[in-house]
Amino acid sequence: MNVVALHRSPWGRVRDRLACALIVVGITLPATAFAQALNMINGDVTQKVALSDLHAMSDTTFTLYDPYQGREVEMQGVEFRAFLIEQFGEVPPALHFTAWDDYEVTLEGWDDPNWYLVSSEDGDPLTIRTRGPVRLVERDYGDRDVENLREFNDWIWMIRSIEAKW
Amino acid sequence: MTSKPKLAAQPTMQPRPLARQHRYITWLSLSLMSFLALMVLIVYESRWVYPEIQAYFSQTGSLTGQQLSTRARVYLQDAQSELLSDQPEQEALEAATMDIDLAYGLADMHIYRREYACAEPSLTELDRLAALLAARDIDRIAAAMALFAPIQCLTHIEMDQLDRRGAAINDFSESTRQHSLVLTYSSLLIFVMGLLFWWLHERQLRRTDRATQETFEWMQRAMRDPLTGIGNRSALHQDVLAKQHQSLGLILVDIDFFKQYNDAYGHPQGDTLLRQLAALIGKTLNDKAQLYRLGGDEFAALLHCPDIDTLKSYCHQLIEGLREADFMHPAHPDKKGVTLSVGGSCFVADEATFPYAYEAADKALYRVKTMGRDGWQVTEDA
Repeated sequence: MNVVALHRSPWGRVRDRLACALIVVGITLPATAFAQALNMINGDVTQKVALSDLHAMSDTTFTLYDPYQGREVEMQGVEFRAFLIEQFGEVPPALHFTAWDDYEVTLEGWDDPNWYLVSSEDGDPLTIRTRGPVRLVERDYGDRDVENLREFNDWIWMIRSIEAKW
Repeated sequence: MTSKPKLAAQPTMQPRPLARQHRYITWLSLSLMSFLALMVLIVYESRWVYPEIQAYFSQTGSLTGQQLSTRARVYLQDAQSELLSDQPEQEALEAATMDIDLAYGLADMHIYRREYACAEPSLTELDRLAALLAARDIDRIAAAMALFAPIQCLTHIEMDQLDRRGAAINDFSESTRQHSLVLTYSSLLIFVMGLLFWWLHERQLRRTDRATQETFEWMQRAMRDPLTGIGNRSALHQDVLAKQHQSLGLILVDIDFFKQYNDAYGHPQGDTLLRQLAALIGKTLNDKAQLYRLGGDEFAALLHCPDIDTLKSYCHQLIEGLREADFMHPAHPDKKGVTLSVGGSCFVADEATFPYAYEAADKALYRVKTMGRDGWQVTEDA
């Protein structure tokens, strides 16, 4: 490192800051560019729920031990049953989930206040990297073995769309 | 004189002793409990095996059904393909960055960080690469090359997880084999025990039935005169009680000068005469009467008797029948053959009336004896 480098021109500092900003934007852009909305599909109708709206309606904050992360995590989300009722009018008998990693599954039994649709973790919005943009968790998973991840198969990650199956 | 005298009525069967019932009920209970235990064992084993099978073999299609490391590795390889493809740089970099993010999300597992030393550096490397790609500060080929280390790590995790799953399945297989052996031998043992208890139950039941049969036969013998085969005094009382409220006739028969007969012919011949007379009385009364031997030379007959004339008719038949049979009696004081003194009475069967009827018949018999024997009398107002 030399002296010249220590005394950079104002234009150089601006250029450096711009580069830093570009890096930060660049890191988050690909994921956020893809995952800006959650698709809610009901028959032929697809409703896009903006993640910003989802964050706004996430009115519940709770802390639980996340077996995938192996630590206590503060999660913010919305009660999934209430969310389904708001979106579909009632809780569908089954839901078909499609994730950003192309994982697909159809599951039943969502008329249960224990499930939460989480969109933030420890104060930060979920991203693809943190298995977001939204994720389903059980607020109370009883005495299930947290070392056995098979016990948490229904915690759907990276949810891209939710389709009601009537 | 071939007619066989009618035997006294059979005594009714008594219930099995309570203690014996309890004993074989216990064997039966043990047997049933054994078979129940067998069922419980089979159900328990089934309930044990099913969740285990589900745990190891029914994970296809679930979130963790395919290893997360496998899915992460595939995304990294996809990222390499995107980076090395011919498509425009912007699209290639966006697609590769998305794949790297997905791989990061799948690989960023607590269990991987804890168990595999390469996990943490690999995630750091993915972080660094994503930043460089976002800043367009790395060559596509170099980026693709840089992904080899994380891919190698994920492959290692994948292989190790597969090994662990294989080991777990082997353990499960061995455990299943052990359970199968336990189930086989236990069920065999319990089944044999169940059969054994059942056999003991059956044996106890047969013994009890045999004891009951012996008791029944013993009671029959106790009610029968062993010499003539006809009933004894006890049987007479029992039969009267069994015919309550029926109009009956009681005939008492006494052999005249039987002592002299025995003295002349000897007791064996006297016994023969008793058997012959029992048969003769039965035949003479047309097998309608039940016969009893009350003492040494005294017989009784119990028969249906609607009126006193019927009774007189039977008494007359007895005397006439004996005359026709013409049994020799060399010691008879009146130089006759064997003669009988017969007394009878009619009564309505009841526990209270029988003693009076017996007394009335005996008085009639006594009148015959006082009148010189060889005849019959009935008491009409018994």
